[in-house]
Amino acid sequence: MLRFDRRLIHNFDWIMLLMLILVSAMSLANLFSSTWNGGPGPSTTFMKQLYFFGVGYMLIFILVSMDYKHLEKLGYVGYVVICGLLVYTKIFVHTIAGTQRWINLGFFHLQPSEPAKLILVLVLASVYARSDVGAKGYSLLDLIKPGILTLIPFGLIVVQPDLGTALMLGILFVSMTIFARLRWSTMGILGGVGLVVAMLGWKFGLKGYQRRRIETFLHPEDDIMNQGYQISQSKIAVGSGQSFGRGFMEGTQGHLHFLPERHTDFAFSVWCEEWGFAGALFFLSCYFFLLLWGINIAMTARDKFGVMLAFGLVMLIFWQAVINLFMIMGFLPVVGIPLPLFSYGGSSLWTTLLAIGILMNIRMRRFQTQ
Amino acid sequence: MRTVKKGNRKRPKSKPQEDIDRRRDAAKTKITPRDDGELDFFKRRAMFASVVLIVFFAVLVSRLWFLQIQHGEEYRNLADNNRVRYLEIAAPRGNILDSKGREIVTNRPSFNVVWIREGRKLDEQLIKTMAVILDVNVSDLLARVRKMAGAPGHFPIRLAEDIEWNKVAYIENNRMELPGIRIEVVPLRVYHYGNVASHIIGYLGEINKKELQKAEPDVYRGGDMIGKMGLERLREKDLRGEKGRHYMEVNALGFEQRNLKGIDPLPGNDLQLTIDIDMQKAAEDIMMSEGKSGAVVALEVTSGRLLMAASSPVLELDKFIGGISHKNWKAMLENPGHPLLNKIVQGQYPPGSTYKLVTAVAGLAEGVITPETVIYCPGYYKFGNRTYRCWKHSGHGAVNLKRALSESCDVYFYQVGQRLGVNRLASYAKRLGLGKKTGVEMEHEKSGLIPTSEWKMKRYGKTWQEGETLSVAIGQGFDLVTPIQLALMTATVANGGTLYKPSLIEKVRDPDGHILEQFSPTILERFSGQGRNLALVRQGLTEAVNGRHGTGRRARLKNITVAGKTGTAQVVRLKQYKHLKEKDIPYKYRDHAWFTCFAPAENPEIAVSVVVEHGLHGGSGAAPIARAVLEKYFGKRQDDPENVTTVVLPGRLFAETVAPSTSLPTDQTLH
Repeated sequence: MLRFDRRLIHNFDWIMLLMLILVSAMSLANLFSSTWNGGPGPSTTFMKQLYFFGVGYMLIFILVSMDYKHLEKLGYVGYVVICGLLVYTKIFVHTIAGTQRWINLGFFHLQPSEPAKLILVLVLASVYARSDVGAKGYSLLDLIKPGILTLIPFGLIVVQPDLGTALMLGILFVSMTIFARLRWSTMGILGGVGLVVAMLGWKFGLKGYQRRRIETFLHPEDDIMNQGYQISQSKIAVGSGQSFGRGFMEGTQGHLHFLPERHTDFAFSVWCEEWGFAGALFFLSCYFFLLLWGINIAMTARDKFGVMLAFGLVMLIFWQAVINLFMIMGFLPVVGIPLPLFSYGGSSLWTTLLAIGILMNIRMRRFQTQ
Repeated sequence: MRTVKKGNRKRPKSKPQEDIDRRRDAAKTKITPRDDGELDFFKRRAMFASVVLIVFFAVLVSRLWFLQIQHGEEYRNLADNNRVRYLEIAAPRGNILDSKGREIVTNRPSFNVVWIREGRKLDEQLIKTMAVILDVNVSDLLARVRKMAGAPGHFPIRLAEDIEWNKVAYIENNRMELPGIRIEVVPLRVYHYGNVASHIIGYLGEINKKELQKAEPDVYRGGDMIGKMGLERLREKDLRGEKGRHYMEVNALGFEQRNLKGIDPLPGNDLQLTIDIDMQKAAEDIMMSEGKSGAVVALEVTSGRLLMAASSPVLELDKFIGGISHKNWKAMLENPGHPLLNKIVQGQYPPGSTYKLVTAVAGLAEGVITPETVIYCPGYYKFGNRTYRCWKHSGHGAVNLKRALSESCDVYFYQVGQRLGVNRLASYAKRLGLGKKTGVEMEHEKSGLIPTSEWKMKRYGKTWQEGETLSVAIGQGFDLVTPIQLALMTATVANGGTLYKPSLIEKVRDPDGHILEQFSPTILERFSGQGRNLALVRQGLTEAVNGRHGTGRRARLKNITVAGKTGTAQVVRLKQYKHLKEKDIPYKYRDHAWFTCFAPAENPEIAVSVVVEHGLHGGSGAAPIARAVLEKYFGKRQDDPENVTTVVLPGRLFAETVAPSTSLPTDQTLH
């Protein structure tokens, strides 16, 4: 399993690593600023994230030494474990801020809904790689297995309640399924059903605060001190950065506490405020280059499992990033979705780093036969 | 990519045929193998996905362009007009009270001057003006500003601490000429009894890098004060309270326009100690006025409450307010009395003859002696080829347990120790609370040392010599105890065998008066079945203070019967000092003096232990201090007015009142 092949070093994905290091460095610099508490050194939060990064990088290097074909089996094992953990959190874990998301491991508070996204990508990639598609694509019947595999963790996360993460699972399912080729008729039926479910959900399923978020997004002036306030302060932060920003640690929106959640969901607002358009453009270029490189990995993968997996992992990072960035730029209501690699939090960071590790793994083995 | 092309040329198959092949292959191997046709298909789809990604990228960048470049100016104005600023308001720390509710430590408001630079460059003129107002050197102020040069512009830089009222008034009146200058109100500690109980209370200091990193987020920030020692540190969470926030509207130049609603700080919880501040002060005053270093501990024998616990020399707490200077710190480090050492739990001394309590209890419990056992003391005891001397060279003659304890006969206890052996002796010492930490709320407690043969093997790799048992039996040799352990041992003997955990905290009360924590006795161990034997030992100790030849006669009180034991702990065993007069022995080679006692002897309430470093004799050096503590405790029952005066003017006056009662020749008070 860990048999080492010299070609692996030769084929090591240096480009991905370089992009990862660039993005990590920007992320840490920003965290240093947004959590600075007046002391001579960095904050505890910063030190913790530094440690999360360190462990995460080590995970990557362990991960790439093992052929990704083994991940298929591990994916199913992980699936059972994660579903178990999600049930465990629902039953045994105390409620923090209205939801039950975290499991205390002593040294770390694990949020099992984060790795759940990664596991789902693994499982779906395996299902689609093994099932056969006709020339027209999957029919409704073919989707029963992947559909059920998605619905179980989806349901478990909805009841936490953590609608944002649950929706992410749905989006991953939809993007991977469409990518795997769907019949036009199937797509039409699913689209119609989805619309009806969304309307019913809005009417009956959403919790008060969830509906309020969307309402305040549509009518921000009704709720100036809360949800709408957060979005408008974020827009002010981003906009006031102008061309070159206010400078490192000089952002007033962040440091004077106008910005909510300034080291988690709104971390990129702080970056835009302090580094301006130039800094934001540089960051987004690196970030999207990393994602496009991931797509390239999908294009050159040696087998269908690799293709599906690489594509799914890119989607995992991409959709979270887009939702988060749209939120801080005022295109979307406040949804608790972090910017992968950039927002503070160990579970999200490790999940993203594992995803990148798997991408590098697929890249390194693109010439190998099985 | 190249491989894909090559594969295509190799397979010029028609579409339906390819489909069949693929299905057949899929049936054979589980994973679809490298099928260039299908992979090609996905390649096209991935290409399309890349286009989607690039479109999103373009949308994001154009949105950034819209917000930051096109409307950047407007948003910058909005940000600058976000005119709400806030200052943190430090919470008053909880008060510390004594057992009777008297305030030992409280707070007073102090005024600091801070400067918030905002967007401004270093304003030399402003600094010069401030230097004149604050009456300090311009260079000092500039140094403070430069130290914080790396901080963002909105972070308050402290220019002066605890300034006088008239300066506060002047600055407030001239606010309009002093942009960015603000007055910060910070509570400072007030010590109502000066340095009394300083080792228990501890002190505050500015939070350092390590503490800031370890603390939970959003509780502290740079410049905050935090408990550094004693209860101030151990009970930081109770005492610190919660910060408030003061919101205000400012104009573009940073001048305060209007106060907005804020969050009031929540004061910390009050600590009520078990300590009686009068007793504490009485002991410290004597120790300090006579220049003695050492420790005094008093325990309530039926609960483990610490009634007082002093370590001398005391810490000068006022030197710590607002941060201690390097010079003062160095002076404390170099002081031969080691004021920074909390001798109550950190001082380890050989227990000397006070350890004979343990030997006596162990001997009775193990049946190697009875109260009637008589041992002849010729003034020495020959063991092997060595002669162990009794302190009384002429010898005590025939002694029983009571006399052995009251006159502290060494020969008697050599033999008891020899009959017991070191390990049996050690097990009783441990049951009486020696050789292990008591768990009292004080930092860096030492465990002392009660040797066993196993310990010696581990530590030195040598077997235990029986001769060493003789030294240990009279509290010399390897034996080491802390003052609080000795008090605990005495209390356990006094109360009939219950080992209580010593406690300092009577109550913790929140600002609304709710009681969060209430003292209740914690029993560490019960020494059962020894009631009769402990009573016999208590009789011996009563005789030691009240008998005609007792060694602890200077601890006697008028209406209360005191029981106790003296002790002398050898510092060095050097021949060259043997024949010198005591006052000619260099201070650092003089013996430590112990006295440990309880009262009333018939129905004990309080146990007191005293150690005076290099104090020579327990009877003369330590017993009078124990007596002063007992006097305070029983103060209301003492009708002799002379005793009241000793409280107000201790030391010299006290010695005079005691002098007539010592009718014994000095060399008899050795042990």
